[in-house]
Amino acid sequence: MIQKRLMILLAEDDDGHANLVQRNLKRAGFINEVVRVRDGQEALDYVRGEGAFIGRVTDASLLLLLDINMPRVDGIGVLQALKSDPATAQVPVIMLTTTDDAREVERCYQLGCSVYITKPVQYQDFVDALTRLGMFLEIIKVPNAKK
Amino acid sequence: MPPRPAAASAPIVVAPERLAEILDIAEDAIITVNLLREIVLFNRGAAKVFGYRPAEVLGRPIEDLLPERYRPAHPAQVAGFASGPDISRVMGERRVVVGRRRDGSEFPAEVTISKLEHKDGTLLTAIVRDATTRKKYEDALKRLNQELEERVRVRTVELAERNLQLGQKNEENELFVYSVSHDLRSPLVNLEGFSEELATSLRELNQVLADDRIPVEVREPATDLIDNGMVESVGFIRTAVTRLSRIIDALLRLSRAGRVEYRPQVVDVAGVVRRVVGALQVTRAERHAEIVVEALPPAWGDPTAVEQVFANLIGNALNYLDPGRPGRVEVAGETGPGLEGGEGSLQNTYSIRDNGLGIGPAYLPKLFQVFQRLHPDSAPGEGMGLAIVRRILERLGGTVRAESNLGVGTTFFFTLPTAPTTAAEIPPG
Repeated sequence: MIQKRLMILLAEDDDGHANLVQRNLKRAGFINEVVRVRDGQEALDYVRGEGAFIGRVTDASLLLLLDINMPRVDGIGVLQALKSDPATAQVPVIMLTTTDDAREVERCYQLGCSVYITKPVQYQDFVDALTRLGMFLEIIKVPNAKK
Repeated sequence: MPPRPAAASAPIVVAPERLAEILDIAEDAIITVNLLREIVLFNRGAAKVFGYRPAEVLGRPIEDLLPERYRPAHPAQVAGFASGPDISRVMGERRVVVGRRRDGSEFPAEVTISKLEHKDGTLLTAIVRDATTRKKYEDALKRLNQELEERVRVRTVELAERNLQLGQKNEENELFVYSVSHDLRSPLVNLEGFSEELATSLRELNQVLADDRIPVEVREPATDLIDNGMVESVGFIRTAVTRLSRIIDALLRLSRAGRVEYRPQVVDVAGVVRRVVGALQVTRAERHAEIVVEALPPAWGDPTAVEQVFANLIGNALNYLDPGRPGRVEVAGETGPGLEGGEGSLQNTYSIRDNGLGIGPAYLPKLFQVFQRLHPDSAPGEGMGLAIVRRILERLGGTVRAESNLGVGTTFFFTLPTAPTTAAEIPPG
């Protein structure tokens, strides 16, 4: 079976949050390339190969980690735009948020997000999320990873 | 004709000439005209009211006593009455009758006219009273009434406006609290996340220090720094962060209570309370308390919001029981007349009574304010629950109050409408 490379696009405007997410991804055993963008518009541009990312060439499949509160286009806007376009509707999306507001969670799932994680993101949350997504393709468990 | 009683059967007979005298001195103006409308009688009262001496007007047309604008139509009116069926009539029942004095000034008048068939022909007599003073009082009264009505109207508009402003203010506040607490969550995530990172790093540093190659004179002070300095510091930071996080979450819940959209419907309150009590079983058992639920009438509201109110109040009742005696919480409800008191206006009053610690009178007024905690050691919390309860009930068209005796117990009463209210529901922000 030929496995496609999996690349993680992290859309997060807060440097601290982005740093924490990356640390936890590493701790959770991901060796995948992580590209970080700072707002929703950049995320859309990256996925579509537009704007600053025009001509971006890759055969890697994308996993999107999407913060909800971002400048310009927020996470909900990105989710909506991606899911309403057949070309990008299949991209798995993990929503990252600071609230557990039931209605916000509900709305994200209605719009088609795959997983919803409340920050601060813990290593275990990522393992759980990826388990649910069924995407163990590129996870290499760090042998002495602590729970 | 039935026989008259003895006293009345012997009337005092007044001689005709005395009668003329009586008429003459009467306070009211008495004026008689013939069918040609010539004045044939003009008493002293008339002289006083109109300012004419009788000699000046006797034989003159009655129209001399009217303002000019009324004169052309008057003869026909007189003829109409003279030939009409009425014997007497009050003039101007529907309009003001106006008289004209000798000096040309006018005055409002009350006039009664009567018709008398006389051997010399028909005589018409008008009894005229100057109504200037009465009219003045009436006008003043009317003006006062109008002013009063106007003031009430202005005040009502003002109050409605202030109400609206308060509502908007409330919404603005909630929106503000919502966005602030949202914004606060973001740096808090960093504090939470990186203090966790620090704790992890410290554990890893301890492992590094465990390496045999590290001299003991380095390892010991370093380990001491970590265990007795850094770990403790990180512990305090994390406790503070957790507390901050809880406060922000509580603020978010409060603002949500004011903003979340309601789906008003008939609420099976008994079912709601059954669920709430079911969810509180663990707490109830821990507190060795019993919960007695009486029959509860259904209400009009949002089921989730109503459940939140009961969960909060019953939860509070359990949390603040007196450990010194068996706890008892009673939930009851009844339908009674509404606040407006109008016919058909009904509301439900629910009560949650406990035999717990009670609330001192000094604390009762602050009970429903945010961040007020009376028994901080009895249960964890941010002092937000009752503020949320009050806000929810406000939006559902109800009210809440508490009665309490320190050391005896507390009863919370709250009302809910039984049917959709005509008053608009306070909308979400």
